[in-house]
Amino acid sequence: MNRTDDLISLGERIANNDQLAYRQLFILFYNKLARFVMGFTKSKELTEEIVSDVFINIWRRRKNIEEIKNLKLYLYVSAKNITFNYLKKLHRENLTDLDSVEIEPEDPFADPGAAMITREMNLKLKAAINELPPRCKLIFTLIKEDGLTYKQTATLLNISESTVENQLSIALKKISGSIRYTFRHN
Amino acid sequence: MVMLNQRGSSQHEFWNLLSKKLSNEATSEELAELQSVLLNNPDLHHQADMLTEMWQQEITNMSPVSEAAYMRHIMKHKDEFFVEENPIEVNTDDTVSETNPGFFRNLFSKKRSTVFSILAFMILTTGAIYLITQKNDTKVPAEQAISSVVTKNGNRTKIVLPDGSQVWLNAGSNLDYNNSVFNKDLREVTLNGEAYFDVTKNAEKPFIIHTKKMDVKVIGTAFNVRSYSYEKTAEASLIRGSIEVTFKDRKDQKIILIPNQKISVANDEIEAPVEKPRKTSVIKNDVRSIPQFVVDELKPNPKYDIIPEIAWTQNKLFFEDESLENIAPMLERWFGKKVVIANASLKNLHYYGNFENETMEEVLSYLKLSKPFNFKIEPDSVVIY
Repeated sequence: MNRTDDLISLGERIANNDQLAYRQLFILFYNKLARFVMGFTKSKELTEEIVSDVFINIWRRRKNIEEIKNLKLYLYVSAKNITFNYLKKLHRENLTDLDSVEIEPEDPFADPGAAMITREMNLKLKAAINELPPRCKLIFTLIKEDGLTYKQTATLLNISESTVENQLSIALKKISGSIRYTFRHN
Repeated sequence: MVMLNQRGSSQHEFWNLLSKKLSNEATSEELAELQSVLLNNPDLHHQADMLTEMWQQEITNMSPVSEAAYMRHIMKHKDEFFVEENPIEVNTDDTVSETNPGFFRNLFSKKRSTVFSILAFMILTTGAIYLITQKNDTKVPAEQAISSVVTKNGNRTKIVLPDGSQVWLNAGSNLDYNNSVFNKDLREVTLNGEAYFDVTKNAEKPFIIHTKKMDVKVIGTAFNVRSYSYEKTAEASLIRGSIEVTFKDRKDQKIILIPNQKISVANDEIEAPVEKPRKTSVIKNDVRSIPQFVVDELKPNPKYDIIPEIAWTQNKLFFEDESLENIAPMLERWFGKKVVIANASLKNLHYYGNFENETMEEVLSYLKLSKPFNFKIEPDSVVIY
């Protein structure tokens, strides 16, 4: 895949002290990681600190970066671990529960050339995604928006792959249900 | 083959298969199965198409957030990122040169050792006096007694004129006035460079600033005048009060500025256009002529609460979306070190900068992170390539 190749070459450059490559990695993942972490911490400051920790660790261990098989997953797992550590320290372990995660989905771009989805539908879509149960929404976001695989998602969240499958189907079904309703009333 | 009467489970299967397809997790068997389900349940087509379109939608990815976050991240761990491969040698030999007053700034930088600081201070004091004295020694008739305040590149200074007016002189500038007649009938000074004036109110005695292209007449007010001979335009920006600007070559034309207005005059008659005007009212000399000056509105940068034109008076080095070509002379003046852009293609790269206590090296390291370039710090210049 193009993306993984890019990541591999970024990793190589970072291992060679290339700060531009490091910056690219940061910019590439910052928003997604921040969104993921924010889902747990619900605090902007803490989120920024955590993501900064994730990346400073990368820089500090850059000589060994090529040993990491999947840099993307590594970043997410690292983010999660650091987040959970912080939350534990703050005695807010309750926030580490997947069912209390509040993740903010991205804003889809209303493509004027879109064949089927109108702007109104987009709004309904966004609302429907937002109404998904927390765990379901998290899984949907990680897969659809962050591009994690089923397996990676399962590893990251410490759940089974069949749970991931299941939750994603539920998500799609619910979302579709809300659009259908719109469609009928158009 | 999936039958209609097995609606319940086939529905679930459908969603599962569709999910897998969209997330690229479907095996070829599963893809085939999905096709088959769709064939047998045409009403599901629409939903499948809809969801596919949704899944593939572009996301608006306008996010300067990550750039800003990166800057903060880097600065948080400064020591781990700003490490030059060739450390700059602090050579005591350099300090002896009085033509390199950049050390004036370094003097107050916390990074230098105490011994070095004291040495530089002593040398510099002599240097400063040297500069002023020398001006007075030139063939000036005794009765004229022109006082001259000169700042070399890298210095900024504040003086108080005999009438109590305060002048902050930016680097690479000089301000002249006749000490014996100042504050008699007129208060006149001549400026080459950049200065911020806070003029004491005195309607009886107009305060006039002569620059190469324009005269600025003041009653009692605070404003900034910028007229470097090597720059394309000269500017006067008004902060408080009101000033009247007349032009050396067009004596009949007078412009009065009100607070938060700025006037830019082309230094070169031939070269008409002035720098990117924001909201402008252009005054033409005649119908077909090219504008020769532009009155603009000062725009404070809301985020940092700085009016760019006078940021330097608060000891801030500030520029907004400036080309490297324009930034280089600013750095030269600020640090007192020559800056050369060896690679012409870099000249038009634009940067945003907000610096206070950083060294030249830090500023350049910072800038290159947003749009890359290389730089080399040599003993008497900095080369950008």
